[in-house]
Amino acid sequence: MNSLLLTCQFLPLLGLMLIALLGKNEKAIANLSFWTTHAMGLSILALLISWGIQGFSGYEFEWFILYEHGSYQFPILFYLDKVGAVYLFAIWVIFSIIVRYCRYYLHRESGYKRFFLTIFGFAFGLNMVILAGSIDMLFAGWEIVGISSFLLIAFYRHRIQPVRNALRAYTVYRFCDIGLLLGAWMSHLLFHESDHFSQLAVLFEHAAPSPASYPALLLMSLLIFIAASGKSAQFPFCFWLPRAMEGPTPSSAIFYGALSVHLGVFLLLRTTPIWSYHILTRLMVFGIGLISVIIASLSEKTQSNIKGQIAYASITQVGIMFMELALGLESLVLLHFLGNAFLRCYQLLVSPSIVAHMLRVEGAMDIDDTGFKTHAMQAHLPVSVRDTLPEVLQNTLYVFALQEGNLERLVRSVLWEPLKIIGAIINAYAAWQKSLVGAAVFAVFGILVGTEVLGSHYLAIPFALAMLLASLSAFSQKHSFIGVWNAVALSCLLAASSVWLLRPDAQLDILLFTTGILPSWLLGLVVLSRLPGKERFADNPFAYRAMSETHPSLALLLFLSFLGLVGFPITPAFIGEDLLLYHASSQFAWISALIAISFVINGIAAARVFLRLCMGRPTEICNHAEITAMQAIFKSSK
Amino acid sequence: MTTPHSHSIKQHISPTGEGLFNLDNAINAIAHWLPTQGPIKDFIHHNTLHAVQHHPFHKGVAIAAKVFGARSYLPLADYQKLYREGRIKDFAIDWAIAHSDCSAHGAKALRERLFIADDSVHYPPMSLVNHGIRNRWQTHLEVDLNSLVHPIMFRLLANFLDQGISRWTLAKPEESFWECVRRLAQNSFIPLYPFHEAGVKGLLDLDPDAVILTCLEKIVGNESLYEQYLLELLLSHPGWAGMVRLIELDPKILLQRRQISLKEMLAVELLAELAIIQSKRGGHFIAAGNVPNSNDIPLLSDYEDKITVPLRLKIWHEAMEFSLHAELLAALKPPAANAAEKTAPIAQAFFCIDDRECSLRRHLEETHAGIETFGAAGFFGIDFLYQGFDDAYPVAQCPNIINPKHLILESNLKPEAPKTKVDVEMSNLHINRHSLLRSLLVTQLLGIGYAARMVWDVFRPGSQLLKIKKLSEVSDAHTHLHLLRENDEPTEDGRMLGFSFMEMADKIEGLLRNIGLTKDFAPLVVIVAHGSSSTNNPHFAAYDCGACSGKPGAPNARAFAWMANNATVRTILSERGISIPDSTYFIPALHNTSRDEITYYDKQLFPQSAIDKLAVFQQAMQDSLDKNALERCRWFELGPQSSPKEILENNALERYRLFKVEPQSQARKEAHEHVIARSTSIFEPRPELNHSNNLYSIVGRRSLTEKLFLDRRAFLHSYNPASDPEGVLIVKILSAIIPVCGGINLEYLFSRIDNSIYGAGTKLPHNVIGVLGVANGVEGDLRTGLPSQMIEVHEPARLLIVIEQTTEVLDKAFANLGDALMEWLNNDWVRLVSCHPDTCALSYYFSTGWEAVDLSGNTEVPSAQCSEAITLGQKTTIPVHQLRSAS
Repeated sequence: MNSLLLTCQFLPLLGLMLIALLGKNEKAIANLSFWTTHAMGLSILALLISWGIQGFSGYEFEWFILYEHGSYQFPILFYLDKVGAVYLFAIWVIFSIIVRYCRYYLHRESGYKRFFLTIFGFAFGLNMVILAGSIDMLFAGWEIVGISSFLLIAFYRHRIQPVRNALRAYTVYRFCDIGLLLGAWMSHLLFHESDHFSQLAVLFEHAAPSPASYPALLLMSLLIFIAASGKSAQFPFCFWLPRAMEGPTPSSAIFYGALSVHLGVFLLLRTTPIWSYHILTRLMVFGIGLISVIIASLSEKTQSNIKGQIAYASITQVGIMFMELALGLESLVLLHFLGNAFLRCYQLLVSPSIVAHMLRVEGAMDIDDTGFKTHAMQAHLPVSVRDTLPEVLQNTLYVFALQEGNLERLVRSVLWEPLKIIGAIINAYAAWQKSLVGAAVFAVFGILVGTEVLGSHYLAIPFALAMLLASLSAFSQKHSFIGVWNAVALSCLLAASSVWLLRPDAQLDILLFTTGILPSWLLGLVVLSRLPGKERFADNPFAYRAMSETHPSLALLLFLSFLGLVGFPITPAFIGEDLLLYHASSQFAWISALIAISFVINGIAAARVFLRLCMGRPTEICNHAEITAMQAIFKSSK
Repeated sequence: MTTPHSHSIKQHISPTGEGLFNLDNAINAIAHWLPTQGPIKDFIHHNTLHAVQHHPFHKGVAIAAKVFGARSYLPLADYQKLYREGRIKDFAIDWAIAHSDCSAHGAKALRERLFIADDSVHYPPMSLVNHGIRNRWQTHLEVDLNSLVHPIMFRLLANFLDQGISRWTLAKPEESFWECVRRLAQNSFIPLYPFHEAGVKGLLDLDPDAVILTCLEKIVGNESLYEQYLLELLLSHPGWAGMVRLIELDPKILLQRRQISLKEMLAVELLAELAIIQSKRGGHFIAAGNVPNSNDIPLLSDYEDKITVPLRLKIWHEAMEFSLHAELLAALKPPAANAAEKTAPIAQAFFCIDDRECSLRRHLEETHAGIETFGAAGFFGIDFLYQGFDDAYPVAQCPNIINPKHLILESNLKPEAPKTKVDVEMSNLHINRHSLLRSLLVTQLLGIGYAARMVWDVFRPGSQLLKIKKLSEVSDAHTHLHLLRENDEPTEDGRMLGFSFMEMADKIEGLLRNIGLTKDFAPLVVIVAHGSSSTNNPHFAAYDCGACSGKPGAPNARAFAWMANNATVRTILSERGISIPDSTYFIPALHNTSRDEITYYDKQLFPQSAIDKLAVFQQAMQDSLDKNALERCRWFELGPQSSPKEILENNALERYRLFKVEPQSQARKEAHEHVIARSTSIFEPRPELNHSNNLYSIVGRRSLTEKLFLDRRAFLHSYNPASDPEGVLIVKILSAIIPVCGGINLEYLFSRIDNSIYGAGTKLPHNVIGVLGVANGVEGDLRTGLPSQMIEVHEPARLLIVIEQTTEVLDKAFANLGDALMEWLNNDWVRLVSCHPDTCALSYYFSTGWEAVDLSGNTEVPSAQCSEAITLGQKTTIPVHQLRSAS
């Protein structure tokens, strides 16, 4: 069974690598993906059967400990229980269908290979999320799923709109990572070595004195809710899901119809013991679900495109799942999940048929249903408003639904605008002004520490603040890509140094972090310095430069360095991030929060650089003068 | 939906600088640049660049490139590759250079330069859309207006025009778009973003004209640039703008009528732009007309002077076209003298001119020597509106240039028990609208069932679980067309309900004379219309008969056969000199071009004698369809490919022998099964390849093309030159062929040359919006043109019309053809060659006069024993072959 767990987990990765190495043409890719998919299907099936033979009870497997330092451990841990089994089953069915479907559907599409690579990357991340035995592992899978979603939304990189929407989805994902990142850190803090999912339930079962205080648990629940509602497009993040339907239809079906959108539900199922502890948190889950249901079901009514409509229908159902979860109906949720996943997947796959259906089957379209019974209402109203009020209400409802509850503007103005404004203010100052202020602040703290008014770890505070400011500056920097890149790296290094000041004994861990960050940063710098036409970046900051068309290898390098810089689980920086948070919290817990926030902002800023440089349609323009000159030569003199 | 585009370019440029800006004139002028593709339910092929059709082809394409920012030709390397492969011939390059106005010494230098590799010549030029004032201004302000305003505009437009996807309808009866937006903005508790901004709120009370002028003043500032700004604005989302314009001109193209105009759309959009600019940059921002450093911006008013045609590409393109055209021209030879001693045919079959029928006709004649085929436009000369008995509304069954006056209804003879409601609801649960509670139950209880359904559909395609009946699949024998008019009372819309006998006789006579069949009728005449069935395909209308406005032609075939069989009609016809013997019977049928299946209609009316004779025809037809399926499969990489290598290496004769002994029928059956599976798979974006590679249109007797293998590239129209000394018939034929076939050809050509601008891009991410069209994703612009899956194997060359008629008669005909159609010929949007009926002497038509085609030394035409020997193992287009039929 252990080996089955491993094959389930790593077969998609194997598939990805095989396709990357051997996928020379469509046929080879199709064959490879066919065999890997079915091998994975078989191992999932075998795993489920052997798990069933063992009596359907939770099963944990610790492969090895990846990193250990002091009381900190990062084990590679797998866990399978009822919830995981149901999700695995859905993955098996839907993934096999989609791979087969895409064999034909994507035939001759440019990017055939890219598509299958991403799909396998997605499956790898998904299996990791489902089989993860601790929040750390889950977070790693979560990141992989996030990046592959991002790549698939931007699959048609020639067009600006998919690219923009990819960034939009990525921002939400990234924001929700704050939740998981801090959640992972808190789980270390609260449960120490017992942060395994397998032990969560036990921990809470007979613990009259809870292992953690209520406020801490409440905070952790909140963080989990943020992560869950972001991934599942629940309130207030409903808006990104319909806009993510930019890739080929089957990828939309598998991500946003079937699997990805239910990961929030999965997270909640996994962490039920943590948040179901208290009525307040249960009420919050219920509330999120309820508000989402209301907004999404209203928005669905005014979606005039078929994919948007399916997206909102899906959000509605996920909202209901949240409510069911809050009521403790876990089995019902699992059933509901399966139903919704298969139904939406199917609906999306056949969505192009809607034209034929509307014209041939439905025939006359009866559309006098405005959803608002004006006549019934008029009778109950005072005469003076009898005609106007119902209409105003009707309009209001329509505008509400049309703007999808205005959630996007809400999120933007609450979350991003303030950050942008602060960043813009910082960027407005010249470098010498900034360094002057920085030096002054450091001097003040230095004197305070030097005179032993404060402990030496207080020096970390200015570093942490500078880190945040650097992130913000990267976030709102528009004109210089290298500037963004450096600011991101600076912020990471400042984070490392502030933690070092807090815990000088943790230098090994900090080194681990920097070994991930520094090479990525330098690699990125090299790529950026080799860019054609880099002197003129500032002229046209909004143009997309289509490097992945014109310089595919540079684009790939930039992508890798972007992944490294944002702490994607391909470099040690991923564990390093976790470690930084862990160490920072030993002195000032709030610095951990700052670090998490600035990591998230860094991720968005770096993603933006990557998109601007690598995506878009190459905009070569023919040389008008040359043609004219040629014409003049060859034109007859008559 | 054809907009008059005969305006001279002078009118496009409004009197800039001098005089006042006139909004209506400006809108009318810039609207010509918009695509004219209607709602997706009917797909009408047209010249994508109709806006520049009054220019010669190459100049028009160059102008369009400067406006839309598109490519004009294939990449240079593609032409060079074709040359290396031998598809572009040296003599064609010489011809192309000789026909460019190049000096003698220039020609030599030019010829050398053709072969130099250069990646950059085919790049698009600086264009209004991408480098115009609006773009420059946005960059200057650092506000990406498109990304902010488009989603808002598209949502409003899509919801207002929606034809039934959204559950709540936005438009109230008789309400215009402007009124609707105003209602939402002013009469709701929640602000309608961004129309609540303080700076623009007051403008909502004005009328659209005033709003546009106010906004333009603030946004553009410089009156001489107003028109250009508006054009650039519209071209930033040509799909929606074009749709709005079409609906404005003809609201009838929508099932649910809507009142909207380009002016209202512009007013709303400019208002939104102004609101967003003001909220981002405050009240005082720099206007678009005052942006610094704007000297090098392309201007609408002077683009025409600065047009340059990329000379090398033009030469290459013409050389490619001439090479391909010459392949056909060389093969046109006068029929052998003994051809007259043909035995009387056992059956005659009428087909649509469609290029997809070209191969079926060849196979049918190859299979059975006693079958004679004819080609005519697929509406068979009968234009009417048609409403099937389960259709919601009538549709036009004729080319879109004709406005039909007759309405034909279909009724069911044997009322079958309609499917129970529950049954229908159950199979369509995933589409029907639900209340919240019901959808919860559906998802909860039945959702898992969809896993099974999905598995079934994906792993066992062709099983017909997705029960959406297409028009072309309707084969219920028990329906009846009400063709005969009972009274002369017109319907509400002013249509006549059915035809009178006299009208019927006119129609039948018209077609028979057109195709030159007025005597020697075979005992069986089969009228084969065509349609196409596909699953999960929003563009299905583009797959049906182009001569029926993107519908299957079955009703026309049924109408034609009924009329031609009618005794009264025959009596009238015989008075006019066309006597159809009593033993002749007309049978309507429908060829499903994607599945290669045939359906015979109205079997209950067949006399016994016809049924007996039909058996032979049916068998021949079945064999031909199998062969046709196999021939089509050579284009489908994932289909069965029947080409053992060793066969390929042997010579043609041996190949043929192998065919005869080997069970080739097995390969044909497999191929046939494959094409059927294709049309029913939900994951198949290419049910068929439609008109890909269409190239020739031949108007003449079948004897001219009978022994030719044309690789499904020709539109074939039957025509008897002897019966048309005054060129009357040829005018009729050309007025159908030029817009229909020429439209198809140019739409394929431009969609292929720049698929992301002239075409619709790849199908895969398409999202159906409001049953109006498709867009990329949820917030995209409507995509016009053809998706890449339809055009990827197309060789973009202009149509060559070959007419078997003398130049003198053609000159007479051209005098009566009308300016709009002569524009196609004179400006080279289609090419035309006259083929002398007796000598087969060929003359090329130019606006300057006829020019004899000299193919001396290049008349070698490859030949083969039979079609299958030619297509075996071939993956690309095949030159015209001569068939040495063994029989």
